[in-house]
Amino acid sequence: MTVSQRQGGGVQKAPQGGLAEVLDLILDKGLVIDAFVKVSLVGIEILTIDARIVVASVDTYLRFAEATNRLDLHAKGGKDLGEFMGGMTENVTQGGAKGKTKGVLDAGKEKWDELRDERRASRKQES
Amino acid sequence: MSEAPEQDSGNERIGSYVYGILRSGQRIPDGLEGIDTGSESGESGLGLVSAGPLAAVVSDVAVDRPLGTRQHLLAHERVLNAIAVETAVLPMRFGGVLTDDDAVREELLEPHRDYFARALEDMADLVQFSLRGDYDQSVILTRIVEENPSIRDLRERISGMDEDSSYYDRVKLGEAVSQAMDAIRAADADATLDALGRYAVATVVKEVSGETGAVHVAFLVRRDHRTDFERAVDDLGDEWSGRVELRLFGPTACFDFLPEYDVPDQDGE
Repeated sequence: MTVSQRQGGGVQKAPQGGLAEVLDLILDKGLVIDAFVKVSLVGIEILTIDARIVVASVDTYLRFAEATNRLDLHAKGGKDLGEFMGGMTENVTQGGAKGKTKGVLDAGKEKWDELRDERRASRKQES
Repeated sequence: MSEAPEQDSGNERIGSYVYGILRSGQRIPDGLEGIDTGSESGESGLGLVSAGPLAAVVSDVAVDRPLGTRQHLLAHERVLNAIAVETAVLPMRFGGVLTDDDAVREELLEPHRDYFARALEDMADLVQFSLRGDYDQSVILTRIVEENPSIRDLRERISGMDEDSSYYDRVKLGEAVSQAMDAIRAADADATLDALGRYAVATVVKEVSGETGAVHVAFLVRRDHRTDFERAVDDLGDEWSGRVELRLFGPTACFDFLPEYDVPDQDGE
């Protein structure tokens, strides 16, 4: 992944984010084969989704309270707060499947016995 | 792609993993790696399966192994993004596998040809960007405390109390801070749309990630407006410098802007 940093804006730019950003797109969005054809999906380990958290919880409130209490309103800086929160936001996405669920990711319960014996090597790169 | 040799391991079961759909006659960028199937050939095996005006980007995948590793997930999007830079591609959601290339042709592409062709036409000159931002925590909290007398009072009351007796007040304080942050988020989402919306064909405001998430907006941008759009993002980054750290991802396939599709009724579930 290439990350370019423009001097002025300081906006990080990259073709693709980390796992959290990618999951948001490719698990919540995109066309679903199962909506088009009743063929099959292999078993998918989407345990990673359990890492999603609900933002508004008592734990969150307590962390906000602690961070707020530690604020030094009369001094500048406070980088220690960043380090306090630093680990919390990494690789976490929120909210669950908010997108329109156009089909179900059925985990591999279908029809691999119908797999044909032959696979034709008919793919071609066109030009 | 060269002709695939016969599978050595006789009963390794292979399916066709589908990344996305594009117009036929396009090329997959050279050197692109697909998801690692764990097959012994070690090739990425990315190829195109064509049917009329459409082609699906596929690779072999062993069906007796679970999908979903970090490598699989990142590769799925990487393949789509690399293609999206050059030409329109309809992204599949992660995890779609058909029994073989014939099934891709006969069960996916041909029966839904009109929808795919129309969607590709709609998306022909468009790419997606995702803008995410995070608040600098001490900056945002300082602002919240300064702007809200009730939060300030609560904070001062708690400071003289021990942990147990202040529990409910701390929850109350955190909740008030969280609500104040939500209000700032809503205003910042509006400001983002004001600043950037004119460079986009469509926008979707999405939920932010993490407790200090500030903005998360997806933009559908015309390829020839990309430079203007990115410049405007930089300007917004300047304006918010020190307060919100912005990250721009893209161009990607138009995940958040796929045309609606009416799922056909299929009996015989």
